[in-house]
Amino acid sequence: MKLYYRIYRFGIFGLLFILGLSCVLMPQTAYSENENRYLDSFPKLTAESILSGEFQESFESAFSDQFSARNTWMTGSSILKKLEGFREISDVYLGSDDYYITKVTQADIDQKQFMQNLRYAEYLGAADDAECSLLLVPSAGVLLENNLPKYAPYYNAGQMYSTADTILKKTKNIDVRTEMQEYAKQTQVYFRTDHHWTLSGAYAAYSTYCDVMELGKHTYGYFSAKKISETFLGTMHSKVLLPGMDGDTVYAATNVPQAKVVYDGEEKSTIYDVEKLTQKNKYEYFFGGNYAKVTITMNKKAKNKLLVIKDSFANSFVPFLMEDYDEITMIDLRYYNDSVQELLKENYSQILILYEMSNFAGEQNIYKLTL
Amino acid sequence: MVFSSLVFLCAFLPCVLGLYVICPGRFRNLLLLLASLFFYAWGEPRYILIMLFSTVFDYCNGRMIEYYDKQGRQKQKKRVLILSIAGNLAILCFFKYTDLLILSWNQLTASNLKLLGLALPIGISFYTFQTMSYTIDVYRGLVKPQHNILSFGMYVCMFPQLIAGPIVQYQTIEDQIDNRFVTDITWTEGMQRFLIGLGKKVLLANQIGELWSEISGGDLGSLSTAGAWLGAAAYTFQIYFDFSGYSDMAIGLGKLFGFRFPENFLYPYESKSISEFWCRWHISLGSWFRQYVYYPLGGNRKGIQIQIINLFIVWFLTGLWHGASWNFVLWGMYYFVLLVLEKIFLRKEMQRWPGFVCHIYTKFFVIVGWVIFALEDFGQMKSYLNAMFGVGHEFVNSDAIYLFKTYGILLIILILASTRIPKKGIRKLEEYIAKAEPEFAAKKGQKAKFIGYSLYTLLLLILSIGLLINGSYNPFLYFRF
Repeated sequence: MKLYYRIYRFGIFGLLFILGLSCVLMPQTAYSENENRYLDSFPKLTAESILSGEFQESFESAFSDQFSARNTWMTGSSILKKLEGFREISDVYLGSDDYYITKVTQADIDQKQFMQNLRYAEYLGAADDAECSLLLVPSAGVLLENNLPKYAPYYNAGQMYSTADTILKKTKNIDVRTEMQEYAKQTQVYFRTDHHWTLSGAYAAYSTYCDVMELGKHTYGYFSAKKISETFLGTMHSKVLLPGMDGDTVYAATNVPQAKVVYDGEEKSTIYDVEKLTQKNKYEYFFGGNYAKVTITMNKKAKNKLLVIKDSFANSFVPFLMEDYDEITMIDLRYYNDSVQELLKENYSQILILYEMSNFAGEQNIYKLTL
Repeated sequence: MVFSSLVFLCAFLPCVLGLYVICPGRFRNLLLLLASLFFYAWGEPRYILIMLFSTVFDYCNGRMIEYYDKQGRQKQKKRVLILSIAGNLAILCFFKYTDLLILSWNQLTASNLKLLGLALPIGISFYTFQTMSYTIDVYRGLVKPQHNILSFGMYVCMFPQLIAGPIVQYQTIEDQIDNRFVTDITWTEGMQRFLIGLGKKVLLANQIGELWSEISGGDLGSLSTAGAWLGAAAYTFQIYFDFSGYSDMAIGLGKLFGFRFPENFLYPYESKSISEFWCRWHISLGSWFRQYVYYPLGGNRKGIQIQIINLFIVWFLTGLWHGASWNFVLWGMYYFVLLVLEKIFLRKEMQRWPGFVCHIYTKFFVIVGWVIFALEDFGQMKSYLNAMFGVGHEFVNSDAIYLFKTYGILLIILILASTRIPKKGIRKLEEYIAKAEPEFAAKKGQKAKFIGYSLYTLLLLILSIGLLINGSYNPFLYFRF
């Protein structure tokens, strides 16, 4: 019997010791592809950083970030939560049909910020000659209501579209819900493992946009959608990390006009970034991710110009519009720090503000429209 | 540093345990002292000076009391005691209560004095109470003054109980300071106790705490009555498993170094009266107040009127001890009223009640009590209590149903884990096996039980590390104590 105690003693001690030692001694990982962020590494020791507690804080977060087999531990804790009957893990609902849906409740929405942002959008429509419109992409949980766990709380999007209707006068409010709902019956409009919409979802919005702006629209088939990946495990999967999840299939429109594309001053000949397909986040295939400013020129004598003020949802949407305009400029206010008012002097014929609804409500940078 | 952190589990603890084994016996107290200072300085690099001051201060006071006692100078001896108590209380009050006083003064007189904005040094309420118990007991002649300042420092700063108790009185471990031992058996028992505590904290308290923080942090106006009770129950479980988990970890850690700390919780939620609840909840605090406040004031020996006044003082202080905010005082007063009612007539009355009614009565008041304890803002407390008692709130809504469904299994686990049912179940199983397979039980029963328990605690450790790496909700609840 004594031997058993000894085994336990050395076993537990050894386990803790080895876990700690491997964390400090193993070569450090700088970047986590899964979590899409830089990991903390062990800090340098200075008297000042110890006294302020900064050293200890960075050491603790580095210790957690550099822990051996980090993802496996996280998978383990997700399995535990699933067994406990949790319907959500790390603020992601585990929906039916293998849909992961970001949990956004009424309490998460800052109504004041939302209304303020709407007023900025309205300001832009009233101040500029260009025809201005706002397209708020419904959150996945709004359209896929039936896939949410039963009784799961979700914010009231209908009320927010009505608010937009009342505040927006000069700026058009483009509501794509009906069309997307139609498409959702036949195809997949959101990825199961990522928060973005699929090409079909973006196409449904394009279709509504064309109707409202009275543009001639092409069929989905016209754009020759091509399968670019079948193994896309998106940002929601990274949070949940349950094993056995099938990857999403990603399509991209290939029948789009030739264009010169300038990304933050750097010129390229394509709107797609093939290299991103070897990475984890395959949605970045569209325009290689988010840049402060991207200008796409189809026709050098640009007359019909569109300005898109956007989040990442626009990246798979904008290719559909390339045939309808001579030049499209996309700016992302999170990174764009030049004057928007200055940019507007370039005589855009139309301005489109495109955000996912909950992103728009929480976005702190919309005020830059007035600068 | 907190116990429920990866740095503690996988760096600090194995280092200290390893060093302790290879350290020669006479340096072990010094090693523990240094380790404890490192442990404290990790989170509070500047405030460590206060703890060191408190240590030296009461070491000197103990020696001085001894000196005057030998010379028979009772007056001086008493003066030193008063100096010690005043000094400790001054430190505690200055860091903990000054801002509350300024704030209340400002509200009463509409003046605008500036707050100090001092962060509360972690554990100050625990170690000042411990050092006070030491000088008082030296004065009373219950313990011998400690002559070795390193040993005394080790007692005051000992990391297992430093930041969240139990409050270990000097007399309980006086003998163990210079005379204790660790064997494979006590080490294993200590580690298993520690892992049980870790599991309580990380797997139970933290997970259910998320429910409380979601409900109390949401819009209280649209909260349903069922949702409000669910939230209150969640906090009730969170505080118990968090606090008793910390105590288990402390007791287990103590054992790893050969100490035997007193128990701090005895299944309090099984209690059938409020008086019983307080005999089983945070026992070390209750006995501290009894020995150093209630009994010296006369306790119950001077008639019912004095007794009620004494109870009032004790419960006012108990409330205030839990945090520098008036809601804690209200919470203390709430228990004062309940306890006095029980003393005067309820206890006799309750003898005629069936057991489950006593249970419900106790649970009800304890749960409502925790809401008062948890919500420092009186406006928020009022809206929450309104929701609990259905004043202008619907009974149940879809949010509450969702949360019940999501946390259902965890709640059942929590209910079971807060009672002795699992223990009784295991005993039944053992008896069954002993009857059905007497040969196996006699030969291998003990081993099988040990292996089962070992694997169980190992599983708790692995799951806890998983949740800690996942960066799940992991609050420290005692930064106000």
